[in-house]
Amino acid sequence: MEIRVDVKKRFEKFTIDADFAVAGERIGVFGESGSGKSTLVGLMAGLHEPDQGEIVLDGDCLFSSRNRINVPAERRHIAIVFQQPSLFPHLNVRSNLLYGYKRRIVEQRSVDFEALVSVLHLEDLLARGVNNLSGGENQRVALGRAVLASPRLLLMDEPLSALGDDLKFQIIPFLRSVSEQFGIPFLFISHSLVEMRLMADKVLVVAGGRIAEQTTTDALARSRMGLSPVGYINLLKLASPRRLDGLFAYKWGREELLISAGNDKAEAIFELSSKDIILFKQHPEAISARNLFKCTVANTFAAGNRIGAELVCGEKTLVAEMTRQAAAELGVTEGCELFAAFKASAFRRLG
Amino acid sequence: MKNGHLQRLLCLFILVLPMASASAGEVHLSVAASLKDVCNELTDRFAGSHPGVKFMKNYGGSGALAKQVENGAPSDIFISANLEWMEHLRERRLVDTTSICTFACNSLVFVGFADRGVFALKDLHKLERIAVGSPKSVPAGTYAMEALKNAGIDRQLGKKLVMARDVRECLMYAERGEVDGAFVYNTDALQARHAKILFAVPQELYQRVIYPMSLTVTGSRNADAAAFFRFLQSGEAKGVLDKFGFAVK
Amino acid sequence: MLALTPADYDAVGLSIKVALTAMAVSLPFGIVYAYLLTFRDFKGKVLFEVAVNLPLTLPPVVIGYLLLRLLGKQGWLGPLLEAAGIRIIFTWKAAVIASAVVGFPLLVRSIRIGMESIDRQMIQASRTLGAPWYDTLATVILPLSLHGILAGSSLMFARSLGEFGATIIVAGNIPGVTQTIPLAIYEYASSPTSEELAMSLCVVAVAISLVALFLHEVLGKKLVRRN
Repeated sequence: MEIRVDVKKRFEKFTIDADFAVAGERIGVFGESGSGKSTLVGLMAGLHEPDQGEIVLDGDCLFSSRNRINVPAERRHIAIVFQQPSLFPHLNVRSNLLYGYKRRIVEQRSVDFEALVSVLHLEDLLARGVNNLSGGENQRVALGRAVLASPRLLLMDEPLSALGDDLKFQIIPFLRSVSEQFGIPFLFISHSLVEMRLMADKVLVVAGGRIAEQTTTDALARSRMGLSPVGYINLLKLASPRRLDGLFAYKWGREELLISAGNDKAEAIFELSSKDIILFKQHPEAISARNLFKCTVANTFAAGNRIGAELVCGEKTLVAEMTRQAAAELGVTEGCELFAAFKASAFRRLG
Repeated sequence: MKNGHLQRLLCLFILVLPMASASAGEVHLSVAASLKDVCNELTDRFAGSHPGVKFMKNYGGSGALAKQVENGAPSDIFISANLEWMEHLRERRLVDTTSICTFACNSLVFVGFADRGVFALKDLHKLERIAVGSPKSVPAGTYAMEALKNAGIDRQLGKKLVMARDVRECLMYAERGEVDGAFVYNTDALQARHAKILFAVPQELYQRVIYPMSLTVTGSRNADAAAFFRFLQSGEAKGVLDKFGFAVK
Repeated sequence: MLALTPADYDAVGLSIKVALTAMAVSLPFGIVYAYLLTFRDFKGKVLFEVAVNLPLTLPPVVIGYLLLRLLGKQGWLGPLLEAAGIRIIFTWKAAVIASAVVGFPLLVRSIRIGMESIDRQMIQASRTLGAPWYDTLATVILPLSLHGILAGSSLMFARSLGEFGATIIVAGNIPGVTQTIPLAIYEYASSPTSEELAMSLCVVAVAISLVALFLHEVLGKKLVRRN
């Protein structure tokens, strides 16, 4: 999907002036609250009219102040998943799901109802009213409803912000699989870097109503490392745990990671902060940390007042950080060998 | 001592004086609507020769007026358009029986517009809307319904009848053209500007229209009211009545 | 025991017929008006807001008189109506119009409250799912403002039952045709001999109002529970 946007709109207390062109299937929009992300969503979907500018999707002009084009929202086929599900309370789950579907002409329906219900595990909910659904069920129905409208683009405006951590990382797989399975590109808006890294490859950074930069999610995470109190979050998708000595051992390339916060589920995602990885010049004689690996420095980078080092352990990569002084003392350079250690308790499980 | 007494007497006198003059100078009239114009002229003439007398005039349907008097509305003289409502107050001892007498007489006519082909009661079915005073409280309406019933056409005209709250409202409906015709008194018809008398209702079909008048019990204690009451029976008053088209017995 | 004359039964039937018709005729206009005031912005919107509240503040007799000047034989629309062969003054249609005008502000007010309580994001969702404004109105806004519509309708119904000032001027007091309950009671009230009949009719009027209000409460609660 190719998106070209150049819009200006002045509100009472806030002006949005966004100019970008991006191509991809999974694009993120990242920014603090109040930076203008939701406004951008509204303008792209046709819910508000820009003062001037242009919005072009895959070559189709949706808005052009110069040519006096303004395709109304109901014909743009851009569906939105909001932060609050906004399901129709007077319709049951099935009717909610089919709302957009029914309004598409048959030839344009690219999503099959049964297939979607199966992917989102909504079979048991179909006959229920929407007033007694849990938070996660609500959002799955909202997602299903948006996807069944066979949109050309799915805008997800902070869809996980209202959910607890547990639920967030349960829903993320649904968000991605639905998009992949039915071939619907999405724009994922969030203020959480972790969510962004799990959902999107490219990201637009919004601040003060403007597009501050356009980059990849990983590069963004690395550049934020020095500023963030949690450093760079290494995201590890691990599987096949076994219990060992009161801990959980997960396969990690040719190695095993010992994690205290694991569980018996076949798969899980873990966070390991760059700040929690301790580096040794030589193999320590004995160490309480249960995870100790020999690794090679692939490259180093500056991030604020810290130095980040990309470490390769076997086939896997981790990012660690240290002060400039520490980097100098250890002689951290590209290609050198180090030992990385981190405790089993340093991992945080997502979902 | 004497000065103190005198002062107190003076105060009392000053306090009483306005009250005395107030009740002395006011005369409350409850008069049937059809007598409005003639009554206005009579009160003007009387006030001309009796300065200091103030008339409070209440015109309306005789039944409504009777009910107001019954409920305590101030009234010194009551003139009704039929005997029924005078009888009503007499039974309740609200009027001075000895003063009851006839003020004037009238007759019932039908007014409307000339181009409808209406010349008699039997032609009324051709019209769509006919105004008539509410027979429950307006004598002109009672007379009209009596005539229609005796002529045998009251049921036929059933839904065409618009109820008015007094005979003047009847006339107004006719004048405005909102109804095709109205039952009013001969004297009202003479006041009409647009509507014309199409026919007189045959007298044998309804009771004679007689206006009884009387002093109310409070009125009989009011010197000015009594004086005006005598004036209403005078030759001058009869002359005015005649001028307005009222028959005088 | 209730003492009611045939004319009284006529009055009761007429009152209900006029009130229901006024309600039915006003509903579509009321819904559109409330929709425009709630969801649309346009030049001169303030005038619309003021206009719809005007009948609430004017004395009903003034409204009746203005309607007469508008629709009467010598009124502004008089010649037009006469040419079309339409007769309004002193017919039951006039009674319906009087009730409709007088009750309209109550209707719009209630519907508006119902519409304003709808989450805007729901309406945005509806649009992005492909529903144009009229589709959204019919499938999302109306079902969700049903309690407001019902509340407004029953309020208007009750108000119509009691309408007198405008009705007597523009529809006149015609037993069997325009004499609704208030007009019948007024006629009785002018007559000293009809106390018992008047009272009977009053009792009926109160009973009908109670039923209308009771229904309004019960239906209102049902809808609140559903939403």
